[in-house]
Amino acid sequence: MSQGKRYSDEFLNAFVDNQLASEEKSRAFVEISQDENLNRQVCELRKMHDLVQHAYRVPPAPPASTNTARGRRRISPRFGVAASVLLLLGIAVGREVRLPISDLQPPLAEVKTTGNAMTAIRGSGATASPASVNVQTAKQPSVLIHVTDNDTSRLNQTLDDIESLLAYYHSAHQEARVEVVLNGRGLGLVRADQSKFARRIAHLQNKYKNLTFAACQNTIDRLKREQGIVVRLLPGVTVIDSGMAEIMRRQDQGWAYLQV
Amino acid sequence: MKTMDILDFFLRTREAQRALQQARSRLYRVAYAWCHSAALADDLVQETLTKALQKSSQLRDPKARDAWLFTILANCYRDHFRRSRDMDDIDELELSLEATPETESSRAEIVTKVRAAIGRLPQGQRQVVTLVDLEGFSYIEVAQILDVPIGTVMSRLCRARNAMKEILLPEFQNNPEGATAGIRRIK
Repeated sequence: MSQGKRYSDEFLNAFVDNQLASEEKSRAFVEISQDENLNRQVCELRKMHDLVQHAYRVPPAPPASTNTARGRRRISPRFGVAASVLLLLGIAVGREVRLPISDLQPPLAEVKTTGNAMTAIRGSGATASPASVNVQTAKQPSVLIHVTDNDTSRLNQTLDDIESLLAYYHSAHQEARVEVVLNGRGLGLVRADQSKFARRIAHLQNKYKNLTFAACQNTIDRLKREQGIVVRLLPGVTVIDSGMAEIMRRQDQGWAYLQV
Repeated sequence: MKTMDILDFFLRTREAQRALQQARSRLYRVAYAWCHSAALADDLVQETLTKALQKSSQLRDPKARDAWLFTILANCYRDHFRRSRDMDDIDELELSLEATPETESSRAEIVTKVRAAIGRLPQGQRQVVTLVDLEGFSYIEVAQILDVPIGTVMSRLCRARNAMKEILLPEFQNNPEGATAGIRRIK
């Protein structure tokens, strides 16, 4: 029997929606990456999330007539301008008399409100009991993190997650291998001329010897071919032939795969 | 008022216009996902924006504007069903759609199938799953928008996704092309 039932469905949904506190998420990463059943469940939940987004990306246009089904008139552009001014004034007045946010919102407890970062897509690590994660695992934990986005806040969150993950393994006296594969826009994280995280990456590389940043040669070539950009990478960043090929290789080797 | 203040005022007004326009399309998308009727969704958004303007002084924190607008939308939607179906509990209401996954199975149209699957969810579940997945609201924000406990949000989301999995996963397991589409998109 898998340890899949160790986590409730609600917990797995919260994991997929990035609603867990950082430490709790790190713990979940470890166990999910090593349990095929949990991985499959997370993958399916993530797929549902993506399908909903896809289904309503372009909703049907509203009816063209000026009168809607219930006879209400549309807001005219002139009214829109006046309305915007009123809204702005309302916000300004509201600011003057606002209460502290803590008075308006209940405590968050263990639920976090901020955006989203990593999503477990697929992993095929060996199934292991929770106890084996902490002490004696025959197999070295291995996680590939695939970065395709160059959004600063998301990258910052990703580095937080990577650091939490490595710190967790370190505290459990395990040497996890973490490989961060960067292609497409994700390459910006390790471009010397673009990265806002050069010092932080250097710090992580010094602190964790099993952490690798791998840049996709195909993306580097494409930037040169299409935009004439000669990419310079941060120190210590390795180059792989193809991000996609690396992902396939690592998955064949049983690495967990997390996409950002 | 100094010149810079006036300039700042008009810049912020333009910003407010842009924010309102962006909010409009986002409100419409979610409203459509809730009711699957373009005309009703448009009506609800009109009503939402009108009420937002009337109540704009209630908005204490501009950063909370999105959640505040969607709270008004949820209230408008609830009011709409109270007016038209006094006896129905909208949390349990399902949309009566002509298109269901079964009738659409002959068409390889993912969007139609997913919308049909969402249309079969009880209204309360549909609202939660669309607020989380389309707008990226946190669970606590969704609880505030719909005025329900956070535990209810989590259980509704859980039931919604499980129901969707039951309906949709067999479709995609029978469609290998769909299963590999994500990998092709990466590069």
